[in-house]
Amino acid sequence: MPPGTEHAGSIYDLGYRPYDGPRLGRRHAVRTVYVESLRAAYGLGRRGASKVIPITLLVIGLLPAAVHLGIAAASRQDVDIVKPEDYSSFIEMIIALFVAAQAPELAGRDQRNRTLSLYFSRAIERRDYALAKLGALVSAMLVLTLVPQTVLFVGNAFTTTSALDYLRDEAPDIPRVLASSLLISGFCASVALAIASRTSRRAYATGGIIALFVMSAAIGGILDATVGRYGIMLSLFDLMTGATYWIFSAGHEYEVPTGLMFAAVVAITAVSVALVLRRYERIPA
Amino acid sequence: MAIVTTRGLSKRYPGATALDALDLEIEPGIVGLVGANGAGKSTLLKILLGLLEPTSGSASVLGFDALHERAALHQFVGYMPEHDCLPLDMTATEFVAHMAQVSGLPRGAARERTAETLRHVGLFEERYREMRGYSTGMKQRVKLAQALVHDPKIMLLDEPTNGLDPAGRDDMLDLVRRIGADFGISIIMSSHLLSEIERVCDHLVLIDAGRLVQSAPVATFTGETGVLVVEVDDGVDEFERRLTGNGLRAARQGQLVMVALDGAGAYDLIRDTAADLEVGLVKVEQRRQSLEDLFRQNENGHATRN
Repeated sequence: MPPGTEHAGSIYDLGYRPYDGPRLGRRHAVRTVYVESLRAAYGLGRRGASKVIPITLLVIGLLPAAVHLGIAAASRQDVDIVKPEDYSSFIEMIIALFVAAQAPELAGRDQRNRTLSLYFSRAIERRDYALAKLGALVSAMLVLTLVPQTVLFVGNAFTTTSALDYLRDEAPDIPRVLASSLLISGFCASVALAIASRTSRRAYATGGIIALFVMSAAIGGILDATVGRYGIMLSLFDLMTGATYWIFSAGHEYEVPTGLMFAAVVAITAVSVALVLRRYERIPA
Repeated sequence: MAIVTTRGLSKRYPGATALDALDLEIEPGIVGLVGANGAGKSTLLKILLGLLEPTSGSASVLGFDALHERAALHQFVGYMPEHDCLPLDMTATEFVAHMAQVSGLPRGAARERTAETLRHVGLFEERYREMRGYSTGMKQRVKLAQALVHDPKIMLLDEPTNGLDPAGRDDMLDLVRRIGADFGISIIMSSHLLSEIERVCDHLVLIDAGRLVQSAPVATFTGETGVLVVEVDDGVDEFERRLTGNGLRAARQGQLVMVALDGAGAYDLIRDTAADLEVGLVKVEQRRQSLEDLFRQNENGHATRN
């Protein structure tokens, strides 16, 4: 374009070219929303301020692994401070804060900007959109839970007296780590999205999610101490920990069967996913 | 072949009927959808897009069922809503490219077409800036661009000039006209301003209270009427009397005189009469019916019905 012709008031005939390339349709559209949402969960492709909270939480989530490895390196002997089945309970507050901060970013933003009608009039269905958002948040949570455990695992292998022995002993834990991380990620993401998709107001959604996690833990603790041992089932944090112990077949101090806690996590996840799908089926666009 | 067909299309809300058994066939071209606020324009567009489910009846666009085949249909439809719909913390380039991919375009093609499309709508260097700093006119251009970027076969534009100043309005109407006439994309554009439809569209669909009032080429509404509008600079009463005396059917209307154009002789008689009276002829022209007249007739009809 020659200089001096660039101003927004005029239209220049540069010739319209029709598009006759491929149209990749629904799967491509879903993948696009998924990738964009996953990046957005860590503030990638957004202004710098959007990265502060998710990246800070990711770094804090690494602290237990870092402390463990630091002590292991300094003591020059095998230490067993942070066990894999305990990791998620070490960072449970980080996990809750992450979904509280980022689920509204994924679910509320398009409602706030009223962009939904643009999505739903494109090659994507309401259900696809909901699943793409859910998938993106689950994936973001997997990063949050798996990165520290990977660091821990690799670090242990290096700092231990015999890496080979360590790998042989700990290999059976790898699928358990994956399974428990997936369970917790799916659970937190779907519960948080079920709340966050209800409102375009970020503050309400974030407050609601934090309140749910913190209040449920408080109420569960109180009921557990007063009414009966099943009161602990009301605490989302304890459900997550119990379900993890069940996956690891680990010893624990819960007075209810951890298998039951695992089942409760699965059931709550299923209900939350259904709520998210239903919300997006009905949301006006 | 009709690009839009509706059969008995109704949308009822508790206590209100937005569309009332609407039967419609729209041919390719630039079509204006006119009606007062609340006539059902936005509801119709949203049903055509599959965003709303009709209470009864059916709608098809480009031969696809608007509700049940929308995934296939949506690859070829562009929609510009009436309301704000832009994430202001993104740049126009990022946003339009993202929307192109959601329409099914591969990443590379999406970027390429985004650059072209934003140029077509008149956004240049500012397309790399966050949209929060944009004027209303620039935002409307981005909204138009995201509806155009995937090269749709049909574009549904809901009040595209909403909120624009007169200059911005002119630019937007020129753009819409260009897209329809030069780019060969069919357009259905809603407006409550007839002058806009008159300027841009080939075909007019007038709806009122969810019912079809008229569907016809714009030209049939704005044809010549066989009436001459004459303006003189002085002595209007006397001028009118003389014309009537000379055998013309003339009637005064404000400072103008309306003369029936019965034969070629009317022009000569007007000229001679003006010369005799020594008044200046300011204007002699055939009166054209405007869509405003039609709209007024319709409103009167509506008022008498009630």
